[in-house]
Amino acid sequence: MNLKKYVALTKAGIMENLTYRLSTFIMIVGNMLYLLVAYFLWKAIYASSGTDYVNGMSFYDTLIYLTLATALFTFMEMYIVWEIGRNIQSGQIVRDLLIPMDYRRYLFWSYSGSLVTHFVFTFIPTFIVICIVTHGAIPFGWNLPLFMLSVVMAVSINNSIDFFVGGICLYTESIWGINIMKQVLVALFSGATIPIAFFPEPLKTITLHLPFQAIYNTPLNILLGKSGDMAETFTGLGFQLLWCVVMTLISRGFWNFSIRRVTVNGG
Amino acid sequence: MEPVLQMKHITKEFKVLNRREGVKGTLKDLFSRDYKILRAVDDISMDISRGEIVGYLGPNGAGKSTTIKMMTGVLEPTSGEILVGGNVPYKHRTKNAQEIGVVFGQRSQLWWSLPLIESFKILKDIYQIETKDYNDMLELYASLVNMDEIIKKPVRQMSLGQRTLSDILAAFLHNPKMVFLDEPTIGLDVSMKARIRTLIHALNKEKQTTVILTTHDMGDVDALCRRIVIIDHGKMLYDNDIEHLKQFFGAYRTLKLRPFGDRSDAEEKIKATVTDASVSSDDDWISVLVDESKTGVMKVLGQIQEIVKIKDMQLEEISTEEVIKKIYEGGPITQ
Repeated sequence: MNLKKYVALTKAGIMENLTYRLSTFIMIVGNMLYLLVAYFLWKAIYASSGTDYVNGMSFYDTLIYLTLATALFTFMEMYIVWEIGRNIQSGQIVRDLLIPMDYRRYLFWSYSGSLVTHFVFTFIPTFIVICIVTHGAIPFGWNLPLFMLSVVMAVSINNSIDFFVGGICLYTESIWGINIMKQVLVALFSGATIPIAFFPEPLKTITLHLPFQAIYNTPLNILLGKSGDMAETFTGLGFQLLWCVVMTLISRGFWNFSIRRVTVNGG
Repeated sequence: MEPVLQMKHITKEFKVLNRREGVKGTLKDLFSRDYKILRAVDDISMDISRGEIVGYLGPNGAGKSTTIKMMTGVLEPTSGEILVGGNVPYKHRTKNAQEIGVVFGQRSQLWWSLPLIESFKILKDIYQIETKDYNDMLELYASLVNMDEIIKKPVRQMSLGQRTLSDILAAFLHNPKMVFLDEPTIGLDVSMKARIRTLIHALNKEKQTTVILTTHDMGDVDALCRRIVIIDHGKMLYDNDIEHLKQFFGAYRTLKLRPFGDRSDAEEKIKATVTDASVSSDDDWISVLVDESKTGVMKVLGQIQEIVKIKDMQLEEISTEEVIKKIYEGGPITQ
């Protein structure tokens, strides 16, 4: 495997993203506005609850968790499904299939540039602001490299889910409804909108056994040092790795099977 | 010479749902199993050698795109054998893609918001082009077109002509064995068309690249192709030299006349007198299509002169365009 051609796509993605300068600035400002809203919203919730801890999480815990989850969400939400859908309907997929590269890899690496830009322009600023606002509630140590590792796996799982949904689109030729459903499911079960700790008991158990929580919940818990000891951290990572492999296999198999529909039936 | 592309008895069938009308019909369609088989390409065979420029023609919906898609490996043929540079395209799509270049008139493979040179650099990495080959190619491009005016320009800001030009350059960049050009001159002005044709011709000469060109513009065909292949309803109608095509139909000549006095009256008279030629008219001219294998143009002219006073006349060779039109409309027989 020659990495150079993939890196070329990443670079292209970064350049394309940064070409629209105004949009880059709005991205940063918009993200900061969201932070402000989340801060006051949850402050109000905690103020009205009368206690310092709700479901075992303090105001700062919740704030950190949610803002970082959202920051992760904006950078990981890859819109690959939209892209696939658009490509199928416009016929651009034919053009893209003629690039001497596996289509899944091509799309993923084309998008990776946007991952990098969003990471730099939304996640890192959020992280810095949160660090300042919470006066160092986030520990600095081994959790940082492990967090990065965890994010990489999360991206992979998310990508697999997207391609699975993309595979469905090859049959339906329309994606809007399916993708909205996917987005809602992922946002809910991954803990990106409400911390999983707030879930009622049976739902919490179910959620913890689904791949979605490995996308946002696991990396965040690792970053925040929530998962107490090393053993728990590595269980989380192992769990992620497992889902990573399983989802890759499922989505790759399903996609390769489905793409034949395009090559056999012409889409 | 070793053929770059071989097709043997290629057939492609699509399963299409029989769609019903109206809202009720559409609802029923959701559960319908009522398919019909549509044969888009029917038993097509051809060999194309290195360095050839082949015009691939046919009316809309004739099966041209389907054939191109099978050649590029995006579609799998229902039956028959196909080899491109020794590869079976649909089995080794990625490998095949490395050997071919494709330009779809309306779709760009370039990075929309980036300057052209960045797209070239990305393509260099994707196709793993050696730096030396890449530089040579850019040098060749610079000698053929004015690169300064496009190289630093983002693709989205280009005119349609510049974009097509860029797309063609991008398709040739990795020095592929074969390039497919699908209506490259569609929507372009006359001078841009000429530039594109010159470019294609020069690249084909320089690199001995095989080019398959689909177009509806007979100007492209006349300027570039020596061989043409015509298909309609998925069947091959013609595969030979363009000269041969004209020769084949060259026995036809059109005699154009402008009579003194009333034209329709004169047309009636001519129709009554000249029996072995077909007569038609437009606003200016009465056209008499003469089959010279049956009768001479001069003889027809003589006959006409006796009954109608001629103000003006022209003699026209049949053009490629008309030949093609005749073939599309069903065989060489006139009207």
